Formats: sequence, structure tokens, C-alpha cells
Amino acid sequence: MATTTPVAGAGTGIRRRRRRINWGANIVAIAFAIVWIFPVYWMLNTAFKPRDEVMTQTPHFWPSRLDAANFVSALAQSSFLQDLRNSLIVVLATLVIAILLGMFASAALTRFRFRGRKAILVVILAVQMLPATALLIPQFLVFNRLSLTGTYIGLILAYVASVLPFSIWVMRGFFLAIPVELEEAAAIDGAGSWRILFAVLFPLVTPGIIASSIFAFISAWNDYLTAYVFMSDSSMYTLPLWLASFTTPNGGTDYGAQMAASVVFSLPVVVFFLIIQRNLVSGISAGAVKG
Amino acid sequence: MSGPAVANTAGEATPRRVRPAAPGLRRTASPGLHVPAILLTPAGLVIAALTLVPIGYLVFTSFTDYDKRTLFTGAYNVVGFQQYADVLSSADFWAALVRTVLFTGAMVAGSVVIGMGVSQLMLRLGSVVRYLVTIVLIVAWAMPNVATSKVWVWLFQPGYGVIPWLITKLHVFGDVTQKDFTNSFWGALVIIWLLVVWQAVPFIALTLYAAQTQIDQSMIEAARIDGASEWRVYLSITLPFLRPTLGLMTILSIIWDFNVINQIILVAGVQVLRPIATLGVWSYLTAFASSDVGTGAAIAVITMILLLGITSIYIRNLLKSGEEF
Repeated sequence: MATTTPVAGAGTGIRRRRRRINWGANIVAIAFAIVWIFPVYWMLNTAFKPRDEVMTQTPHFWPSRLDAANFVSALAQSSFLQDLRNSLIVVLATLVIAILLGMFASAALTRFRFRGRKAILVVILAVQMLPATALLIPQFLVFNRLSLTGTYIGLILAYVASVLPFSIWVMRGFFLAIPVELEEAAAIDGAGSWRILFAVLFPLVTPGIIASSIFAFISAWNDYLTAYVFMSDSSMYTLPLWLASFTTPNGGTDYGAQMAASVVFSLPVVVFFLIIQRNLVSGISAGAVKG
Repeated sequence: MSGPAVANTAGEATPRRVRPAAPGLRRTASPGLHVPAILLTPAGLVIAALTLVPIGYLVFTSFTDYDKRTLFTGAYNVVGFQQYADVLSSADFWAALVRTVLFTGAMVAGSVVIGMGVSQLMLRLGSVVRYLVTIVLIVAWAMPNVATSKVWVWLFQPGYGVIPWLITKLHVFGDVTQKDFTNSFWGALVIIWLLVVWQAVPFIALTLYAAQTQIDQSMIEAARIDGASEWRVYLSITLPFLRPTLGLMTILSIIWDFNVINQIILVAGVQVLRPIATLGVWSYLTAFASSDVGTGAAIAVITMILLLGITSIYIRNLLKSGEEF
């Protein structure tokens, strides 16, 4: 590697030129990467160790052999399948409801002008910044009265409440990117508002639907606090509660199984993040620096 | 909550705009406003029923003596400002408030400063190393905080944890392998700080890095030719350019770090959970662990008002940064 690009010119058209390698910066960066990835490495290292190498006075920095025993213990000897099913039911239902409603609302807020539009956008933004307990306490009280705590529906409603505002916000960016000319052309061809929405706008906004679905999935999949407060019956636990359950109240923890469980639980989220990362960073910078 | 957190800013302009799409459909005048109304109604009803009404109910509850008994019998009394008077006159509240502000400040400062450093570093790397750093950052960022909390407890586990073992190997602090870090006041605070900063740095570093790549390089080169030091270039060119981004990152970090709950209740040991509780954790513990729902609601309302102040700055900033509403 004799050349480096001074700028991440991902299509930005900044000219590339030769430059001497900055050894100092590269070494510091590698040291930083090692430190930063260490907790993740230690999770993987622990998870793949044979059971008797997990708890040792002198830590083993590499498993003597790769062993799936921790995974077997985490997945087979627990309520994993049941909790996975609970998680999937709740997360997928949340996703479908929030994305569908979010798509309609986002279309209304971007492709039409009407009074109160700005106020609605500000409310949507402000709602996302509320402290978790400010919503959790009254939702628990109301759902408890309606006998919705401990049910899928209760949890789904709570998740829709937290996911819907930012789904609208994410899809809004994608709607704004569609040029008005497309709508005008369709209108000239005689398409009505509904026809334009379903035949032109919604198909074009598919990447936004995918992006906000991933965000919604991650947010609902990761939730611990709401599920912990709402679900008292262990047969209704979701995966974050399963993950926390390897610690017993008296302090004993099966760390090997818990790290294996952490790997299983985190994997889909990390994969989704890596898929959308390009989208993420370019979007953030365009949004924040623009103007 | 990294998911929604990410989305807040990610959505603003994910795809590059072809042209500033002034919200279109000029012919909306003719068929009236029923189309947007129909489109908005379902989401509007859901947000109103599941968010706005509960917030109203929270405020109402904070004026009652709602407690464990009420959960079963439904009986409660309206006590006016009694809960607020009790909360605001308790030393615990002011201690928790000061702790929350200091702890939030420490987490925000840590993540913003390290994030700025990492983004600077990334500009000076070969493409392979830069790619490596990016992947590392994204993985740390993506990990669900329930999982990372458990991983960090394990890292510091007395007797078997790898970090105390490594610290002991330094021969500076003596043998700390048996120390119960998560059950000591400062130990728990430091571990939670490290955990939150570890997961917050990637978003800030990657965002600032992306912003920095948009700086006109010829300007920086001209400054260098004129003999400006790297530090001078950073202060006079990079930093002013980054100001708006940095401002947004800082405000968002304040809001998120103020709201940290999972990491605190999952990492802190039983003995220190109450002593280190921030306002969010305290209202959670009061409402759910002690079932003092009325008091918990009052603390939540106070927290909400404090946060609304910061949120309004965020929204004003967004409006000013040219975001089209």
C-alpha cells in the first residue's frame, strides 16, 4: 500500500493523490481498534471456550479448542425457543403496524401542505426525547387497568408508541428526496392523489421502508425495560429478559452460557447495522452539515 | 436505545436530494384536504392514545398518592402538589439531580472528546486501517445494551474478570482481582461511564469524520503552505466547519445520556444501585420497585421538564441548520 487517499472519497469526486503513509497515526489507530473491540472479543472468546476454561484464575486469551458447549447450554437448557418466539411475535407485529402507519403519515407530512404540519413534526421530534419512565409509568398503569400487561398486545402497543415517531421521521427523508416533477407528470397523465401515492410514491420510497424497518426491528428487539415491567409471567419473556436471566438473584451466574447468549442475541442487530452503515453515516452528515 | 437514537439524525436527509422538494401536489386545493387527513389519522390516533394521553395521565398521577394499594383496589386520593413538595424538599432528590448532571456531563464530555480525536485520526489513515477502525466502531455501536451490560459485568467479575487481572499485572494498584467493582460506588460509576462512552463514541466519531471529509481540502492545503501547524489548521478551519455538527452531537448526547437506565440497573450491584441512581433510575425504582407510583410520577415529570428544555434547544438548532419543516 504505497498510496492512501487523504479523504474518504466515496464518490465525492475529491481527487486522489499520493501521500506518504502516516505510520504514527496508523499505529495509534490499530491500538485504538484493539482496545475498542476488546469487550466484543472477550465475549466471543468466552462463548467459544470449553466450559471448564471459562472461570479460571488466570484468564485464557484464546480457547484451547472451539467448543459449542456454552451455546448448547444457553440455547437448549433454557427457554430460548419460547422467548425467541415471543420476541419475534412482538417485534414483527410492531414493525408491520408502525411502518404501515408511519408510511401514510410520512407521505401526508411531506407531499402535502396544510396548517399544523410544522407543529406535528415538532411534536414527533419532542416525543422521541421523552425520558423512558415518563412513558413507562402511565402506560403501565393504563395497561394494567385494561389487563393488557403481560400480554403480547400490551407490549406491541408500547413498542409501536416508541417506534412510530422515528419511523415517520426516517421515511420523511426518503419522501423528500422524490422530485416533485414525478408527481406532476403523473398528475398531468390524469392520476389522482391516491393513484399517485400508491403507484408512484410508495414504490419509490421502498429503501426508506427497509431502513426504518431495520431501525424499528433493532429498537423493539433490544428493549429490556418495558418487557421487564410488563411481563411478569416467565413464559411470556422476550429475549432481552432471557439474556438477563442467566444471573440468579443470589449472585451466581453461568457466564459461559450468558456470553454465548449475548452472541446469539446481538448477531442479528450487528448484521443489520453493518448492512445499513453506508446509508447511516452519509445520511447523518448530509442532514447535519447541510445549510 | 441505539435504534431510535440513530434514526433521529439518520433520517434527516438519507438520500441526497435531487432538488429541494418543496412539498408538492400543488393541486391539493381542488380535492380538499381529505387525503392528508386520511393518511395522518391512524398514526395520529395511535400517537395520541399511546403517548400524549399517557403523558397527561402521568401528570395527573403525580398529583395523587397512587401506590401499591391502588394497583389492586384502584383507590387513590388527589393530594395536589404534595408529591412535588416531598420530592423537592428531600435531600435525595437534589443529590440525584446533581449526580445526574455531573454523570451526564462526564459521559457527554468523554464521548465527544474521544469521538473528535478518533475522527481526526481516521483522516490520517491508510484505507485498510481506516476500514478496520470503521468496522470496530460499528460493531461496538451496534451491540444491544442489554448484552454489553452483561459483557462488562463479566469483564470486571471478581475472581475471574479479565480487566482486574490485567490491572493487577500492571503492578501499580496492587492485587485487585478479588475487588467487587460493580458493588462499589466509584467502581460501578466508572464501569458504567466506560460502557456508555464506549458505545457512544462510534456515532460521534463516524458522524464527525463524514462531516470532515466534506471540508474543501484546498483550503487546508493553502493554510499548510502558509506555514500553519496541524493544530492551527484544526482550530481555524476544521473546528469552525464542524461547529453545527458538533453542536447537534452534543445536544443529542446530553439527551441520550441523561436517559441512560438499562446500563445502570444492569451493571450496578444491589448495594450501590440506589446510591448511584440518576433521576431516571430513581423514578423507575420509586414507581416500580417501591410501588410509590405517585412519587415516581412526580420525579418523572420533573425529569421530563428538565429534558424538554434541552430538547427545545435541539429542535431550534435543527430548524436553524436549514432543515425544511
